[in-house]
Amino acid sequence: MASVHESLYFNPMMTNGVVHANVFSIKDWVTPYKIAVLSLLYEMSTTKPMALLDRRRLNKLILPIQQGPDLTLEQFLKIVEECCLRMVNAVKLRLFLMADGELQDMEHFFTMLPNAFSDSEAFKTSVVGLFMRQMLLAYNKLSFSQVYKLYKSLQQYCRRGNQPELSAEDMELTSNEDPRMDINTRGPLSQKQAEYFLARQAYLLKNDENKAMSPAKLQDELNNILKFNPDFAEAHYLSYLNSMRVQDIYISTHSLLHYFDRLILSGGEGKSNGDEGYGRSLRYAVLNLATLHCRFGHYQQADLALQESIRIAQEANDHVCLQHCLSWLYTLEQMKGSDSVVLTEDSVKIAAHFCLPYLASLGIQSLVQQGAKQGMPANKLLDALRGTDIMHWKQSLSELIEISLAQTTSIWRMYGKSTMARQQAQLLLNMNSLEPVNFGVQQNNTEAFAVTLCHLAELHAEQGLYAVVSDIMKHLKQQFPPHTQHAKLWMLCDLKIQFEKAMNDGKYHLADPHVTAISALNSTEGLYRKAQLLKALNQTTKASKILKQLQQRCEKSKNTEMIIRMMLASAELHWDSATGFATAVPLLLQALALSRQHNLQSLTSETLLHLAFTQLMLGIPEQALVLVQDVLESVLAHGSLIDKGRALLLAARCHMALAGAAAQEHRLTAVELAVHTLDEAAVYFSQLDCKERMRDIHYLQARLHHSLGNISQRNKCAMLFRLLDQELPSSGMTVVNRL
Amino acid sequence: NTDIHKHRQTERQTQTQTDRQTDRQTDIHNHRQTDTNTNRQKDKLAVSLDALPLNEIPAAPELTEEDARDLDALCLAKSHFELKEYDRAAYFLRGCRSQKAYFLYMYSRYLSGEKKKDDETVDSLGPLEKGQVRNEALRELRVELSKKHSAGELDGFALYLYGVVLRKLDLLKEAVEIFVAATHALPLHWGSWLELCNLITNIEMLKSLSLPECWVRDFFMAHMFTELQMIKEALQKYQSLMEAGFAKSTYIISQIAVAYHNIRDIDQALYLFNELREQDPFRIENMDTFSNLLYVRSMKPELSYLAHNLVEIDKYRVETCCVIGNYYSLRSQHEKAALYFQRALKLNPRCLGAWTLMGHEYMEMKNTSAAIQAYRHAIEVNKRDYRAWYGLGQTYEILKMPFYSLYYYRKAHHLRPNDSRMLVALGECYEKLSQQVEAKKCYWRAYSVGDVERMALLKLAKLHEQLNESDDAAQCYIIYIQDIFSCGEQLEHAEVSTALRYLGQYYFKNKLYDEASLCAQRCCDYNDAREEGKALLRQISAVREQGEPSSTDLSLACVFNPLINTTTPVRRASPLDLSSVTP
Repeated sequence: MASVHESLYFNPMMTNGVVHANVFSIKDWVTPYKIAVLSLLYEMSTTKPMALLDRRRLNKLILPIQQGPDLTLEQFLKIVEECCLRMVNAVKLRLFLMADGELQDMEHFFTMLPNAFSDSEAFKTSVVGLFMRQMLLAYNKLSFSQVYKLYKSLQQYCRRGNQPELSAEDMELTSNEDPRMDINTRGPLSQKQAEYFLARQAYLLKNDENKAMSPAKLQDELNNILKFNPDFAEAHYLSYLNSMRVQDIYISTHSLLHYFDRLILSGGEGKSNGDEGYGRSLRYAVLNLATLHCRFGHYQQADLALQESIRIAQEANDHVCLQHCLSWLYTLEQMKGSDSVVLTEDSVKIAAHFCLPYLASLGIQSLVQQGAKQGMPANKLLDALRGTDIMHWKQSLSELIEISLAQTTSIWRMYGKSTMARQQAQLLLNMNSLEPVNFGVQQNNTEAFAVTLCHLAELHAEQGLYAVVSDIMKHLKQQFPPHTQHAKLWMLCDLKIQFEKAMNDGKYHLADPHVTAISALNSTEGLYRKAQLLKALNQTTKASKILKQLQQRCEKSKNTEMIIRMMLASAELHWDSATGFATAVPLLLQALALSRQHNLQSLTSETLLHLAFTQLMLGIPEQALVLVQDVLESVLAHGSLIDKGRALLLAARCHMALAGAAAQEHRLTAVELAVHTLDEAAVYFSQLDCKERMRDIHYLQARLHHSLGNISQRNKCAMLFRLLDQELPSSGMTVVNRL
Repeated sequence: NTDIHKHRQTERQTQTQTDRQTDRQTDIHNHRQTDTNTNRQKDKLAVSLDALPLNEIPAAPELTEEDARDLDALCLAKSHFELKEYDRAAYFLRGCRSQKAYFLYMYSRYLSGEKKKDDETVDSLGPLEKGQVRNEALRELRVELSKKHSAGELDGFALYLYGVVLRKLDLLKEAVEIFVAATHALPLHWGSWLELCNLITNIEMLKSLSLPECWVRDFFMAHMFTELQMIKEALQKYQSLMEAGFAKSTYIISQIAVAYHNIRDIDQALYLFNELREQDPFRIENMDTFSNLLYVRSMKPELSYLAHNLVEIDKYRVETCCVIGNYYSLRSQHEKAALYFQRALKLNPRCLGAWTLMGHEYMEMKNTSAAIQAYRHAIEVNKRDYRAWYGLGQTYEILKMPFYSLYYYRKAHHLRPNDSRMLVALGECYEKLSQQVEAKKCYWRAYSVGDVERMALLKLAKLHEQLNESDDAAQCYIIYIQDIFSCGEQLEHAEVSTALRYLGQYYFKNKLYDEASLCAQRCCDYNDAREEGKALLRQISAVREQGEPSSTDLSLACVFNPLINTTTPVRRASPLDLSSVTP
């Protein structure tokens, strides 16, 4: 029972049961605002002598004015005024002349409009000329009543603002009726404008999310467009992207499917190859559905969708689509945590065969990542990356360049070469963006940047530069607000740094909440940190239980770095037990072999330090010293502050142990050497404000000075030791039992 | 002047007549009709009641001083109004004070705005602007009406108009309040109730409203229950209304018929529609639903009779076009059918059923893209249209995209949780995706909610068969056979023979020879299974001759373990039951 009040809205564009939005191919039409723009163009071309600067400013203005949404007259005049004062008056005069006169004035304007341009080359070829001719065409197509309506709205447009129509009370009533009104004052969007708006927002979402509209506002705009034109399918796609930002699976699925339901039709009609275009969008529809499930972590669903898409693509013999499917397949496998090297290699080969450079180098990058994790030789990896880089630069694939640089940073960092990592990071951060959105500005808002900045923050934290770290974090927070998709990266990084800091300071109660937060973001990392904390709190049984758990998990996921860390942590646990040192050795040797095999230099040196310490404890200080001295160079070059301090402390202790056994004359030099080394270590520890270690050092120094007979020095050290000892809670850990 | 006077006389007379007809309980003081539906509704109800004796007919309402003063202007304006010259009508009413004249004044202005809006729409500049054509009069009307409203000067009709204006401005919350006030002021104005009905989205909202205690309220509640798919409650309401004296009302009969259609009680619905046609032979409303029913039952002659009849009454009605579309579709002339559905849509683009039906036609014509488009339009008109969602699912399934169609089927299932068709469709999709566990669940659920097409069990059984779960499969087949026989009808697709064949083999394997031979004998009743039945019988007799003991030790209980480990009681049946049923 249709109500009488429903307007019987007849759709003239419907043929054969199908609505064609563009049956008249009207993309743009004349509005009062367009008339204002036209009159500006007219004035610009007729006023010949104009200041060069003014002209340049105006010329720069034309494109945004032409493509943007309709503005009110005041806004428009204000923009023009900022560029050229004289022009404003001319435009204003012309518009008001038209609005205050009669319809004939407007008609006159349109007849004389082409005269001013017809001789210039710009009219035929340029964007401005195209716009102008489009407008003229659109105007000439108008029917009588439409022309009259246009004139009416022109009059209204010119008078708005200086003529309150309703009394104050009435205004109150009408103002709350429609919250969209303030958006709508800009007037309806034409097809062109809507397309431009969508393209711009989609582009911003991809490249710099912060510059795009906020999710809620964008959704409002989209709903607005869709309300007035449900056939505008692209808006559904943007709505899908937008709801992905806020992790709304319901709306995003709905929008995605809606988009493809619409597209399937337009694809079938629009393409000259008929059925081909139609089938094609079907395939991509399923593929997109797969990616959606992938992003929400529904791997089984994604797998099913992907299989379906592969099947249809195969039936249609669409190699490009198949290739896309394949690259998603290996991504999915990777996400599920299984080995996908073979798939990826296949994908790269086929992509190269079908000349799809983007997919090929994405595949290579993925291969490099997997290779790095599995301990492929470093030269091969970097070579592969360099090879793809050349192609990226040739084709200006800026996105891939960024990823590649970020990847190199990560690889160097993993290998423990902090200087190289820093250098690569700076390279990316200082690179000028190739994307026009941020052209000239150096920052993009992509994942690559987030990763690099996180690495940089961690590198600085290792050197104890916490002020810099907090600056970087502030920047990250600003660039990637917590609701955005890459925010998790810096959150985890921030937590890790804070955890390390709390551990170094010995403030274990502060570290505890961080562990919980880390577990929420990354459960494996969380387990490791928890074990560390428990170890520090002397809860050995619990710690070893957790380490066992961690081991199982890491072996499943083949996370070598974490396995080595886990081994080191369990070796440290062994030290505490009675017969520990001997049992720790095989574990450490295993870790050493693994880290050497994977080129993980920082972990290698850490393992060696552990090994040296074990040897020292087992009473072979000569061997220990040799090991420490071997490793010392690379630790001092690349290691973090705490590692440097620990290495030096260990070296000093080896010297001390040797001095005990050595002859008198050697003994003196050895002790002096030890004091000197301890001084150096003290510098590093004091930079980190690591009080427990400082206390140990003061204690050792006091003992050494005592044996050397430097009473004043000894007393000073003893006093410092006492001060720190009182300040710190007495820990069960003795000086002896720790690296 | 005398002419106008005369006109006024006749007008008064007709007005008193309508008043009399309306109802004995009303004291409706009559404005001219505001809504054709409303008035018709009223008259229809009145006819359905017993006639009143002359002396009980209520007197015409008193004319107030103001009414008398405005009478001439009102009559003139009314004539203009009826000729759709709304601006003119409003102009002559601008000074009038009486309630009646004021309402007509405002209503003319409103309709004038609407008319201009429609004209503009055709004339608009581009597709994006089309939706942005607004009724410019709405805001002014709202301002004036709200002033009057706060002064408490609006009567029931004006309140109704105020509500309509608010709804058009998308101020739904305020609109609901005003409509409720309008029903309080004038309970017998069905228009306000209808508008209210469009604004209520769920049962909680319905319960929270305070509606006037009046007999119209029951009609409203019944209507609302139908809208909210609470068919049982709706039927109860209608039943009690019929008992209260509205037994002859064609409106109620048609509503009940539609309700039966919604719960797919086809026989009842058909019966009621036939009765309706007898009582009201020139009725066009709801006939599209009737034709749907006839279509489902493939009753060609009846459908063709209906179509011809309706064309004679009025061929330019949406319902007529839908009926003709169904007629052609049943005759497999799908192009023509689509053409008629298109015509229906031209007459009323918001006609939901036609979009869906057109989608079906395009499906038949294998024009999947157009079908998708049509279904999408249907969803746009009403998001809760499960048929369109189901249709979309089917389309994608035809395009061999079972995973993709899952979403649509799920949507449809969500809207009709107790409809087995969606569940079966879901099960089929899962089966194609080799998700057997989910598929089993779907089929079992479809059977539990009452399988319409009786396919779920068969599919479930076949699935079990594939998975080598022979006990479960046998159990399903048994229930299936019982189901088929107990419903008594001959179903075309019935695969009883398949079931019997499997059961025979199954019993044979389990050495239950008596049952096996029974099944084999039954097999022989069917052409396609006859040979196998005979072969099985021979095998059985061969085994028996060898003197193998019939395995009585194999207890039935272990064979007929519960079908699926649920708490749902499964109808157990010993296989011997088969002898009692006659195919």
